[in-house]
Amino acid sequence: MADEIIDLQALQKKMNPRVIFIIIVVIFLLIAVFSSFYTVDQKEKAVVLRFGKYERISGPGLHFKLPFGIEHNYNVPTGRNLTEEFGFRTHKAGVVTTYTRGDFSQESYMLSGDLNIAEVTWTIQYQITDAKAWLFNVDNQGKTLRDISQSVINLMVGNLAVFDVVTTQRTLIEEEGKKMMNEFYNKYKLGISVVSVKLQKTMYPKGAVQDAFEDVNKAIQDRIRLINEGKEAFNREIPRARGEAKKTIQAAEGYATEKVNNAKGDVARFLAVLSEYKKSPELTRIRLYYEMFEEVFKDPASTDLIDKQLKNFIPFKSLDSREKGGDR
Amino acid sequence: MKGYKASLIIIIVLVVLILILNPYFIVEEGEQAVVIRFGRIIRSSADAGLKFKMPLVDKVHYFPKKILSWDGDAQLYPTEENQYIWVDITARWRITDMKVFYERLTEIENAHSRLDQIINSSARDVIASHSLREAVRNSNLINEIERKDVYGSQTGPTEEGEDPTAVKTFTRVTYEPIKRGREALSSDVLKAAAVELSQLGLELIDVVVRQIKYSDDITQNVYRQMIKERNQIAQAFRSDGEGEKAKWLGKMEKELLTIRSGAEREAKEFKAKADAEALDIRNKAYGRDAEFAEFWMAMKEYEKLLPQMKKTLTTDSDFFKYMYKYKK
Repeated sequence: MADEIIDLQALQKKMNPRVIFIIIVVIFLLIAVFSSFYTVDQKEKAVVLRFGKYERISGPGLHFKLPFGIEHNYNVPTGRNLTEEFGFRTHKAGVVTTYTRGDFSQESYMLSGDLNIAEVTWTIQYQITDAKAWLFNVDNQGKTLRDISQSVINLMVGNLAVFDVVTTQRTLIEEEGKKMMNEFYNKYKLGISVVSVKLQKTMYPKGAVQDAFEDVNKAIQDRIRLINEGKEAFNREIPRARGEAKKTIQAAEGYATEKVNNAKGDVARFLAVLSEYKKSPELTRIRLYYEMFEEVFKDPASTDLIDKQLKNFIPFKSLDSREKGGDR
Repeated sequence: MKGYKASLIIIIVLVVLILILNPYFIVEEGEQAVVIRFGRIIRSSADAGLKFKMPLVDKVHYFPKKILSWDGDAQLYPTEENQYIWVDITARWRITDMKVFYERLTEIENAHSRLDQIINSSARDVIASHSLREAVRNSNLINEIERKDVYGSQTGPTEEGEDPTAVKTFTRVTYEPIKRGREALSSDVLKAAAVELSQLGLELIDVVVRQIKYSDDITQNVYRQMIKERNQIAQAFRSDGEGEKAKWLGKMEKELLTIRSGAEREAKEFKAKADAEALDIRNKAYGRDAEFAEFWMAMKEYEKLLPQMKKTLTTDSDFFKYMYKYKK
């Protein structure tokens, strides 16, 4: 205890006003030094206020300002493209980007112009072009930005048929949407410029509705398949029929040639015999007659002969026996 | 030693005095303030900077100079056709007359509740006197979009160069035109609300529909109707496919019959011509001696036909005339 009392006394001795004054001045100077400079990142701009009033904008680097809060700086990321997501939230971007689980259908489900429902998610990229305007013109800038973006996309979707939104008019929505958002933001002098509006998902509502839409695609495939089946049958049958037709015609031509040739052949023989006939009709006639008989009765087994008078010749076979069906 | 002490005390007293009396105040960019003395506004400062006031007597009341957002809860409004829809509206406003604002509302929270009342009731009036499509759509763009290639690119036209029937029924849809549109309705709400709000020292800058939605049971109906519509289109595609296939098969049938009968006809013509020619050849030759020709033909035919027959000869014929005698 005694030691402490001695120490305190010694301290009191040392703590004379002069020392205190010096300490205060040193502290004062230290605060002055530390509160009189600020750094600005390469991607930023700093807006400096003096007694709350706009003074200047400074670029990247180390800068001096008046100390003790007389001058105050706000750093604004003007060099970067900033992103806002609607209808979904990226949890962690990377090689495999993960998205925050949760229902953002409040943002993404909207009415289309044909009074159907579409699910639309999108992102906007914007840049702060005027740091001073960004800081001081609009309260709660982020919310204003989101509100307007949402209302613009809602309006665009509400102006189109759901089919257009999902398929062909995505670019229109992106381009017109960007133009319209910029008009709003310029009107508010928000100090930003929208660089791009990108639609992510444009879909029909999940579940049965989506299935029905996909069934249309299947139906389109079915249609193509059916048409191809028809074409296939056509292509299978017709060339064959053409070939067969050609065959029929050729056969007929063959027949015709044959017929004419036969006639010519027959006639040639006839004419040859006719000239002989003219010379000696009776003999030729008889000759032809016997030739005919020769030809007809060449096969000796097949003919029965009946004698007319029955007295000169013994019949080989009687007519009666033939009629009774006896075998030869 | 004494001098230090005295100056130290003077400094401390001065600092404390300034802190207690506080004869100045700072208005930052984006803010504005009024100076109130004994409950009365004696001065308003719209510009940023360091301002002075009477210590102890004057009070400073700050207001935002920025554009403020108003975001009401989504409300269920009936449309002209008595269909209930959720309408989510946001608005932007700012304080234009601090004196009036201070007198009438004083705090921002009060302003918000007045904005709730006034904007919601204007919105209800406007929505109730318009049809749903006027609120959803903004223009008649929906009827101007060319949808010819919507399915065409995937399906291709039919043989006759026409779009598939299903595509035709789809692309021919025209929607009931609108007269006003969403932006016009929003500005109606703005106009109606702005007059009342301007009497409270604030300016309503715009009213924007952030989102329009169906109530839940209508949503389900819409889903059902969307499904039904898609089913129809799918059916149309499939039927169209069947029809196209049938067309191909019919075309095939027709081709087949044409080809076959054509070949048949040609073949017959060939044959007929050949027959005629053969006959002509024979007639010309036989005509030279009709009597002999008849005999000749008889001989030829006998030669040709008789050998195959079963024959029973009588000796009565000329052939056998020498059978029983050697002379005529």
